[in-house]
Amino acid sequence: MTAMTTFHDQIIAILPKLRVQALALTRNRAAAEDLVQDAVCNALSAQDSFIPGTNFPAWMHRILRNRFISNLRKRRDTIDIDDVPSSVFATEAAHEDRLALKELGKAMTRLPTDQREALVMVVVHGMSYEALAEATGCAVGTAKSRVFRARRQLEAWLMGEPRQRDGARPAVRSGEAVSMNLSVEDSAGL
Amino acid sequence: MTHVRMTKSQDKPPTPAARKPRKTEMAFDLWLQRSLHQIFDEVAREPIPDELLKLIQEDKRK
Repeated sequence: MTAMTTFHDQIIAILPKLRVQALALTRNRAAAEDLVQDAVCNALSAQDSFIPGTNFPAWMHRILRNRFISNLRKRRDTIDIDDVPSSVFATEAAHEDRLALKELGKAMTRLPTDQREALVMVVVHGMSYEALAEATGCAVGTAKSRVFRARRQLEAWLMGEPRQRDGARPAVRSGEAVSMNLSVEDSAGL
Repeated sequence: MTHVRMTKSQDKPPTPAARKPRKTEMAFDLWLQRSLHQIFDEVAREPIPDELLKLIQEDKRK
């Protein structure tokens, strides 16, 4: 198997994880699919810069993330809150469980982008903090902090606890458009 | 889900009444993990669009 074949096979293999990351970032199914396609195009264009044997997932995740941020800078759109995928409600889950999932979906959209992405990549992808740090271009401590803050904020919102002292954003009513709010550290690091 | 404690230094330890029961946190963590999987695994399992696969395979043939 040639090195070129291996590179393309790696892209195909990581596509499901890229889709999850893209949805975590964009909060919108259609935008997530577009983002994945854009990121794949960028990766194919930059394949000569990838060193075989190095961390391909981290390289690919960073390309997608950078593409997301680049798109935001160009558009500066507001993005509507997207509902939890409707297929989730087609499950056999009890009514209360479906309501809870819907609330979680709404709460997830309110999280700062970097926290939401970090939480999803650790919990859903099973990434280590070190891998997350490499994939998102931050220090390991920052990666841990993002996951911790996301978890704590969701717990505060969903368990009905008082607003956190770290100045978390107020809850947004369902149906309102929210602007994509990157953290200061994300903007500064670009 | 790995528990991360990022506690700041404090002048005095929290009172028992102020400290959240660990079982509650663990229960929430378990629910959060299960629920996020329920939401996002569905997305990961969806078939990859043909046009995206075609894009990759055409590049592979170059």
